[in-house]
Amino acid sequence: MLEDAVVRKVLGAALATGGEWAEVYAEDRLSHNIRLEDRRVEELVTGRDRGAGVRVVKGTASAYAYTNRLDLDALLEAARVAAAALREPPAAEVRDLRRRQPEVRHPVAVDPAGVERTTLAELVRRADDAARGYDPAVAQVTAGYGDVRQQVLIANSEGFSTLEDRVRTRFVVQVVAARDGVVQTGFDGPGRSMGFELLDEFPPEEVARRAAERAVAMLASRPAPAGQMPVVIASGNGGVLFHESSGHGMEADLIAKEASVYTGKQGARIGDERFNGVDDATVEGAWGSFAFDDEGTPAQRTVLFDGGVCTDYLTDLIRARQLGLPASGNGRRQSYADVPIPRMTNTYVLAGDDDPSEIIRQTPRGLYAKSLGGGQVNPVTGEFVFGVVEGYLIENGEVTTPVRGANLVGDGPSVVAAVDALGDDFTVKEGICGKEGQGVPVGNGAPTMRISQMTVGGTGGTA
Amino acid sequence: MTVELDAIVERLAAEATGGEGVEAYAELTTETSVTAFQGEVERLTSASSSGVGVRVVADGRLGYAYTADLSDDGLRECLAEARANLEVSGEDPGNVLPEASAYQALEGLFDTRLADTDPERKVALALDLEARTRAADPKVTQVESARYGDVVGEVAVASSLGISGSFAVTHAWCVSVAMATEDGESQIGYAVDAARALEDLDPGPVAREAADRAVRMLGATKPPTRTIPVVFDRMVAPSLLGVLLAGLSAEEVQKRRSLFADRIGQQVGAAGLRLVDDGRLVAGPGAAPFDGEGVPTGRTVLIEDGMLQCFLHNTASAAREGGEVHSTGNARRGSFKSTPGISAHNLFLEPGDLDQAGLLSRAGEGLLVQDVSGVHSGANPITGDFSVGVSGLLFRDGQLAEPVREATVAAHLLDILKGIDAVGSDLRFTTGSIGGSSLLIGEMTVAGA
Repeated sequence: MLEDAVVRKVLGAALATGGEWAEVYAEDRLSHNIRLEDRRVEELVTGRDRGAGVRVVKGTASAYAYTNRLDLDALLEAARVAAAALREPPAAEVRDLRRRQPEVRHPVAVDPAGVERTTLAELVRRADDAARGYDPAVAQVTAGYGDVRQQVLIANSEGFSTLEDRVRTRFVVQVVAARDGVVQTGFDGPGRSMGFELLDEFPPEEVARRAAERAVAMLASRPAPAGQMPVVIASGNGGVLFHESSGHGMEADLIAKEASVYTGKQGARIGDERFNGVDDATVEGAWGSFAFDDEGTPAQRTVLFDGGVCTDYLTDLIRARQLGLPASGNGRRQSYADVPIPRMTNTYVLAGDDDPSEIIRQTPRGLYAKSLGGGQVNPVTGEFVFGVVEGYLIENGEVTTPVRGANLVGDGPSVVAAVDALGDDFTVKEGICGKEGQGVPVGNGAPTMRISQMTVGGTGGTA
Repeated sequence: MTVELDAIVERLAAEATGGEGVEAYAELTTETSVTAFQGEVERLTSASSSGVGVRVVADGRLGYAYTADLSDDGLRECLAEARANLEVSGEDPGNVLPEASAYQALEGLFDTRLADTDPERKVALALDLEARTRAADPKVTQVESARYGDVVGEVAVASSLGISGSFAVTHAWCVSVAMATEDGESQIGYAVDAARALEDLDPGPVAREAADRAVRMLGATKPPTRTIPVVFDRMVAPSLLGVLLAGLSAEEVQKRRSLFADRIGQQVGAAGLRLVDDGRLVAGPGAAPFDGEGVPTGRTVLIEDGMLQCFLHNTASAAREGGEVHSTGNARRGSFKSTPGISAHNLFLEPGDLDQAGLLSRAGEGLLVQDVSGVHSGANPITGDFSVGVSGLLFRDGQLAEPVREATVAAHLLDILKGIDAVGSDLRFTTGSIGGSSLLIGEMTVAGA
């Protein structure tokens, strides 16, 4: 994408005013997105996006400038603008740029760019047919397919550079079901760091059926109860909860600002000794995986909880240096227009050895959260709120009536502390995590898990 | 770099051949942001970027492509991709371009002072805001974020049907997030100010408000579950209106994804309630002389005296209705990367006579909601189910009392709208397209312990 000589010149200009280190991040992104709605292929959009950012860092301070031109003049101008934040004599020079080789790869069997447009249109139509065929109550279907090929070049004045070709593919279906004036929605959306072969693993019909199943099941729901109760979270979904309620608080920018409930908790026992959590960007082909993070640090597996004990934080280069911690490979950015910040990748609660059906059988009454929607967390207090998009009552050890409008409310450490059963099943869910206005692909995984006591918000009166 | 947006879009529009319509929409954005932390500039970002999106329509089909590569080759390739994408799209009466119509320029969107502001002044404002927030209260132990930001933007659109226009805007804002700590417990408070130029921002009140909002939450506990009057703070009200907004889009109605479908002429809110979108209200950041496809903007009353009047339209949704329905000038794009959707420019509830203190006095006893969380998962614009996490302060005899947290409120959206006893007089627009006023809801179930 850029010649080494160009990159060296730009880094040199960036260090002219006293920066300790400087970095060039350049990307070229080609994307295809097709969407079907209302039985019709609404649009197929092709996008070409490219640009580069230059960052100058001194201590914890950084200046960043970007441009969507990749010629030397534009890059030198960006370097000059970023360097203008400092007014000192040069303090560092550009070392030899050693090309880092990837330790993990995320193979692409079928290049999405080579897939015919008519094939893409066929995919979303198949999903539409399958969802509508599932049940007459299915009233609306939205099906979408997207792929992106992102070529990334990173060069750091401290002497390394990386090149990575990332491919991500995702297929999503949302279904609206309606019956007797009740309207419910269901969603499924698998995604992987792989090529078009994703569709072999997740045929459109199956994705559509799962979304339809969720929407239709909830038609018979009644308002969820409110109050404190045990909550069993279906496999996969506990990962989303863990991501939001604990993962964010373990991102090192919040730790450095002492703005996290997990500040100073390294080595502290928070949960049961069966509780293990990791953030792992090395999982082959996973949605949140990569070979290098967006600062060129190799992908890693970071242990967040080891036997219930809070272990490592998620760092980017600036925070690692500031806190005297290893760089964990969690510096990520949405695009060249953003500065990297500590972010999660694939965040997993590891499986235990309980039988999932036994977990429910041993819960006399409570809530079974089969599918969680998005969540939100205040990392300072650790408090979160989660919507339960598919929920059921547990009565006498059995999953019974579907309930709607339930919300889970709590805080991260309390939830980790209250996990008292972990299934031997494990699944992942994919999503886009937002922080400081930047969205990045993240995977979340967990086994079936029970939280012994949790606040449930709902409209169906006090339980 | 100088990019001639007008020339680019006119040239693309002129490429249309027989039977097809071509529209090009281009943006050029220059932005700066400065974040201060502990008396230092933690981060300074400065950038300029541009791009163009090309929409091609023919025989009721649509193709779209965008590119950030504004070279001749880049533009040619983009148009070719859009044409190829059209081939697989389905037919829809909405796939038409708007007819040309003259728009009136709008004064006050662009403040030349901002384009000329030195970076030093931006840095100084962020540092000042951080220092003031820290000094505002001894219990403020950290300023999680003190940030200044601005944007100078240019937009141009042209089509083969004769649409042609361009305008420029400026926005400047500052945000402070204070963290207060006492007895090992921390709380955060947020405040923001926005204007068209840096000179019109006032960091003093922002710092005080952020600090006050954090400090007054210290010692918050989970409240008992009760049904009580609830006042939503003006900073919270936009999240509530934001959920309604999705359902007021004609496209959502046509796709049967709106809780307002089939409710035109019906009572959907309390008597006296008026909900307005005004694209020419310069005090709001969404003001623009024309929308994302070149159609002139205007003022649309969506709810009058509690009755639903109409929906927001772009050209596509209006065309689907056939005949008498016209675009309300509400085609909006996230950026040049997307086709025009439907959204509000400046949405607000017509303000009432009482300020927030007046609303609290009127209610007597209840909960002032300072913060909501989980809106994107807990509020469903299709079903109308609304259940969110809230924190704030209880009040008695109209006076603020103890803080509460980890509570939830849940109700159907229409019941909330119908339950609005009063809209505050404190309407303010900051950074979003929705203005906020304090809202008094007669009663809601607040679930806690």
